[in-house]
Amino acid sequence: MQTLQVVFPPTDFTLLAVILGLPLIGAFINGVFGKRLGNQAVTLMALGAVGASFVASLLAFFILRGQQAESQSAVRLTWTAWEWLTLNTPNARVPLEIKFSLDALNATMSLVVTGVGFLIHLYSSKYMQEDPGYYRFFAYLNLFVFSMLVLILGDNLPVLFIGWEGVGLCSYLLIGFWFHEDANAAAGKKAFIANRVGDFGLLCAMGLLVYYSGALNWSGIEAGAAGLATQVQIWPLGREVPLAALVGQWINAPVYVDASTLVAMFLFLGCAGKSAQLPLYVWLPDAMAGPTPVSALIHAATMVTAGVYLMCRMSGVFVMAPKAMLIIAFIGAATALLAASIALVQNDIKKVLAYSTVSQLGYMFVGVGVGAFTAGFFHVLTHAFFKACLFLGAGSVIHAMHARIHDTEASQDMRNMGGMKAFMPITHVTFLISCIAIAGIPPLAGFWSKDEILYMAYTQSVSAPEAVRAVYPGLYQWPAWAGKALYVMGLLGALMTAFYMFRLYIRIFHGEFKGWTIVKGWVDPHAHAHGDDAHAAHDGHDDHGHGGDHDHHAFDPDEPREGPRPHESPWQMTTPLVVLAALAAVAGFLNAPLIGLHVLDDWLAPIFTLAKTGVTSVDPEHAMMLTLAIPSVLIAATGVGVAVYFYYLKGGEPAAAIAEKAPGVHRFLMGKWYVDELYEETVIGAIDSLAEFFNWADRWIIDGIVARLTAGIARLFGSVLRFTQTGRVQAYAAAMVVGTALVGYYLLTPRASAQLFEDDRAGSYRVEAAPGLGYSYRFSSQLTEDGEFQLEAGDAFHDRRTTSFNLERGQSRTVRVEVKDAFGHTSKWERRIERPKTDGRPPGSVDFNTMIQQGADGRPRLVLPPGHPEPTLPDPGADPQGGAQ
Amino acid sequence: MTSLVQAWPYVAAFLVGALIPRRQSRFERFSLGLVALLSVAFISSLWPEKAVEAAAEAPSEWPHLLNFIVLLPIVGAVALLFMPRQSPKLLRGVTLTILAVDFIASLLLLRTPMTDGWHFQYVREWLPAFGIRYHVAVDGISIWMVVLSTFITPIAAYASFGSIKKRTKDLCFSLLLLHGAMLGAFVSLDLFLFYVFWELMLVPMVILIGIWGGVEKIKASYKFFLYTMAGSLLMLAAILYMVWTHDQLEGYPSFDYLALSRLVLPKTAAYLCFGAFAVAFLVKVPMFPLHTWLPDAHVQAPTGGSVILAAVLLKLGTYAYIRFCMGMFAGPAYWAAANLAGLAVGGGILYAALVAWKQPDIKKLIAYSSVAHLGFVMLGLFAGTQAGIAGGILQMINHGISTAALFILVGVIYDRRHTRLVSEFGGLAKVMPIYTACFVLVTMSSIGVPGTNGFVGEFMVIMGTFTSPVLGSHAKLQGGLAAFGVILAAVYMLSMVQRTFFGPLSNPKNQHLPDLNVRETVALAPLIAMIFVLGLFPNLFLERINPSVAGVQSRFMSSMAAFRSQHDQDPTRAVMLPRPSGKLGAGYPEDPKKPAESAATASAEEIQ
Repeated sequence: MQTLQVVFPPTDFTLLAVILGLPLIGAFINGVFGKRLGNQAVTLMALGAVGASFVASLLAFFILRGQQAESQSAVRLTWTAWEWLTLNTPNARVPLEIKFSLDALNATMSLVVTGVGFLIHLYSSKYMQEDPGYYRFFAYLNLFVFSMLVLILGDNLPVLFIGWEGVGLCSYLLIGFWFHEDANAAAGKKAFIANRVGDFGLLCAMGLLVYYSGALNWSGIEAGAAGLATQVQIWPLGREVPLAALVGQWINAPVYVDASTLVAMFLFLGCAGKSAQLPLYVWLPDAMAGPTPVSALIHAATMVTAGVYLMCRMSGVFVMAPKAMLIIAFIGAATALLAASIALVQNDIKKVLAYSTVSQLGYMFVGVGVGAFTAGFFHVLTHAFFKACLFLGAGSVIHAMHARIHDTEASQDMRNMGGMKAFMPITHVTFLISCIAIAGIPPLAGFWSKDEILYMAYTQSVSAPEAVRAVYPGLYQWPAWAGKALYVMGLLGALMTAFYMFRLYIRIFHGEFKGWTIVKGWVDPHAHAHGDDAHAAHDGHDDHGHGGDHDHHAFDPDEPREGPRPHESPWQMTTPLVVLAALAAVAGFLNAPLIGLHVLDDWLAPIFTLAKTGVTSVDPEHAMMLTLAIPSVLIAATGVGVAVYFYYLKGGEPAAAIAEKAPGVHRFLMGKWYVDELYEETVIGAIDSLAEFFNWADRWIIDGIVARLTAGIARLFGSVLRFTQTGRVQAYAAAMVVGTALVGYYLLTPRASAQLFEDDRAGSYRVEAAPGLGYSYRFSSQLTEDGEFQLEAGDAFHDRRTTSFNLERGQSRTVRVEVKDAFGHTSKWERRIERPKTDGRPPGSVDFNTMIQQGADGRPRLVLPPGHPEPTLPDPGADPQGGAQ
Repeated sequence: MTSLVQAWPYVAAFLVGALIPRRQSRFERFSLGLVALLSVAFISSLWPEKAVEAAAEAPSEWPHLLNFIVLLPIVGAVALLFMPRQSPKLLRGVTLTILAVDFIASLLLLRTPMTDGWHFQYVREWLPAFGIRYHVAVDGISIWMVVLSTFITPIAAYASFGSIKKRTKDLCFSLLLLHGAMLGAFVSLDLFLFYVFWELMLVPMVILIGIWGGVEKIKASYKFFLYTMAGSLLMLAAILYMVWTHDQLEGYPSFDYLALSRLVLPKTAAYLCFGAFAVAFLVKVPMFPLHTWLPDAHVQAPTGGSVILAAVLLKLGTYAYIRFCMGMFAGPAYWAAANLAGLAVGGGILYAALVAWKQPDIKKLIAYSSVAHLGFVMLGLFAGTQAGIAGGILQMINHGISTAALFILVGVIYDRRHTRLVSEFGGLAKVMPIYTACFVLVTMSSIGVPGTNGFVGEFMVIMGTFTSPVLGSHAKLQGGLAAFGVILAAVYMLSMVQRTFFGPLSNPKNQHLPDLNVRETVALAPLIAMIFVLGLFPNLFLERINPSVAGVQSRFMSSMAAFRSQHDQDPTRAVMLPRPSGKLGAGYPEDPKKPAESAATASAEEIQ
């Protein structure tokens, strides 16, 4: 350990480069050279990269633990790769580096990502074996692990954002992995766009953080978080609402929110996008279009928990915003309930698990929403184990179903399953363990983490740190009922969770197998191109090379079909199941306060020191812990019991009877609350029509006015003037005659004009008459307002073109210039000249040029004479950075 | 031996690059290896520590380097006229050689550390009686525009030689002339010279669209010409007015940028002149509502023309806005910034994105996406913070690279199918996997996925907008709306990608489309390499941009203050501010009548 600490010093912790670099190299090599390397080499590369990354993470974890134990405080091991960019804002210079850091929070998370990631890579090596895009799959998967590691290890928000969008990109590519089907590609796009809505929130949050706290790295944000204790005017948007008079001045009444609330809500929008919370959860169920290992890794264990991770990471900002946290906690609870209710009736086993994931993520947000960051993060951990295990188990079942049913939907439909317990013992046991864990039955992992969230929801509230409250007393106080409401919602969700999970379990593994009639020694009459039928199956996409002939395995429920006995999966697939099930069973003891275990709490405590100061509890002595745990156990048991009664004992009749009694409710739940349809009709529809209108307007209004209208005007002139170009010589001759006559008249008329040269300061003035052919000139002046014009030099016109004179201050005169041409016609020009009483400048003014001097820094600055009023300069805050570069 | 060891990254990069192609084409392997090697060399030679070393032993600036870069293509274009039309191979070879030499010469510019002030300055009297001089120089802003042009034009030329087989001589001539004119406009510091180059660009571009364009090429080239011409004539009037004012104040005329940027015009005249310049530049950018020429021009232009048009020509508008509008009319530019920023956000980022979404033609979609991206650039400039301006400049380079790549990619399927309608395609990923991979990658860069170049510019612009004092109370709203544009970018690009590449391969005409050929791959490789270089190492660029941006921004603020205080006193008077000192004042035009003494003090004369 000592040597390791020397090799990897805390400020240049290059082990992080190893952790990050291996999956990246794996992704590059598999993506670019994978097709030529062959599946074996791709497997070796992908698994080796993630496995080695896991080992490195483990090493880093222990180094960190050693140092944290030594120093008894929060330790952050950092590695700076290079300077990325620099933001020079008026308030602060924000250097952004490609910098990674490791502390207790993300060290734990990186173990999950690389560990669970490795297991799922191993699983996929068999699951995806026959897919023509095998190398592509592993390139994406490695790239995902890399992006996820960037996300959790990044030391500032923009670096986190690289990973944040990187995992979104990988998710997009993997959901649409089988891009030949439109639905898959559409699901990928939907996921990306829903995530982008969240990313918009994150970008806004970053902008506000730069403005208010002047930093984007973790320590800087935490240090500058106090800057968020200020108010922002969010209404009216500008200075005032245009045309406010029409609706009344009330519309201009300013609306203020706390900057911290604004930042927290924008951050949460980002989290809601990535972690599938209301209102952005709709992409996650569709994301099940991807291969099942992807659902396990990305859409259950790791990526979707990034939002919870971000909230933990930014806990210092979130505890500053009690109002936002209340909203977040309730959104989490509402999501948990909504998704659980949909999961009650779904028949697609992956959809059930997807909604279950959304629901469990809701719990995590209840946890972090009430300021129980450790509890929320704890649920991330346990959920990663049991949900990954459930997804992989489901994948194993689907894999078995593919022996005979190749249609994606039919192979995932639990109505075609049943009795799998006999065929797949390992899958069955691991699935059962994970079901018990997620249902919240002690002592498995799910109970401990969920129970802690519920306990915290009941007792704890976010109140902002005492110091902030002291200087900024207007902060929101949580109402007393909030905790109770959250607790009840959580219990209700737990009831549904236990029910739908055991419904799923029983319908897959118990009862009669309904997929096909099992015939011993059955041989596929439509012998498959891939030969080994038992292992050729993988989600029904083994027919990629065959064009469109789906017909021989299209699923027809009425047609009686025969097939082989479903088989247990190979060891590459069952090993991950066993490991994950074991973790799902025991991981709860990391944090089991009821029996006195607080390993995780102690481990993470230094991270949440600031956050701890921002929460208050009605039960600081943890006296109510047991009292609150009992209902939660009872309710989980009830859920399990009802499911067992409905589906195991009665074979699903009571459920069908209920569905028949309340067909509206059933249809509503089957239709997933029609949220997709609602969005389609409202937001998406509105933007779509707006785009259609803009497209029309761009063609006919913008282009119409700027281009077509001006062209039309030019054409109009052209067509009028065209009539003058007749081509007839007579017409041109006539025009010439008329033109010559006009020009002649013009030339023969004298036009007097003169230029005036004034010098107000000296009082001297000069008039210079414009010259002309054969002109002679005469000057006269009118000295008083209505006096006579007095000729200058007798009566005669002469050749001299100028005259000059002086005026006293305030004196004026009118000058007249007369010209006479050779024919004796005359013309005249008059101008009144007045010398101002003062010197041309207002009194007290100074010459501007003397005011601007070169400052010491080479920039001009204004030097004002004593007593001169300050000129209105722009806001001095505008340019403090100036030339400081 | 040590030099061999030191060379290992280059060797490794070359090997990796050379291994990438699956085809057995030596030329392709060599080219991709070279691209990889040059990318690594580019990064390592600009790396901060290396740059410090280089600065210590910085070669003195060879004053003719800029002349060489600008005049080489023009001289080459003229020389081309004397070559035989019958041997297109020779013509193409000569053109590519000239462009390659120009590119290498422009890289030499980067060896000089870009401190605030003018570099590689070269001044020579041209028409002394009118105060017209040949005055060229670069700073940290224009240097990247020069490098961008010399980088993109060879690629555009190389790509168009694949698809254009008729009238090669005319094509080569136009490309070279256009290249020289663009470079000239980027480095001119004399408004007359600038105007000449600015107008000179029009002719070859109109030829490119008008000869090798699509069905409605004549209409599109007219529209392009008239729009740009209308703007530049306004600019010409404003230039002449300013020169006349300078003559009135100083007693001698000057078209020089250094002199005219010290001029504070009377209030009305200042706003009018600003308007004239701004219209000329905003047409070129193009900014809503002056943008409708762009989709037409792009749809009709051949691939090479589109690439140059989008990647470089549009940048002239944004670059000129920084240099001339912000440099010479700080007061009016400050005054107009908030409203123009609203236009950039509403009409550019949001409106153009929505219109792009509804385009049936891929090229038109990309054209509208350009309007949206340049909305980001303009927003950064209007925001007037260092982060915003630097981000805007970075975004110009980014947009040049991503959009050039997109247009080359669209040209690929146009060459194969002679249509660009999205509805004609679908499921292309199955028959053209490498093409699809490249397209998706460039799409990601275009929609600003971090790690690619598209992100850094947009990010800096958004951050700069949020913290902008120029935009006042609107800053956060406009920053937020600009961030919203990021969603729309994903919507329109991904919808197009999905309909073109994914789903079943439904159209039988697409069954046997060949994947990227060698020429297309080689043309795309440097662009794709730069996507990552810029996305991961933007600081290499920012190190050279930032000092100049800091200077531009502080001069913008101080001349704005001077403008205001002058107009508080007397809005009808024009004055000259004191001339800049130090490096910034080098090359300041002197009064030809009294060369020695006029440098001492700047006089303020009253006119009228």
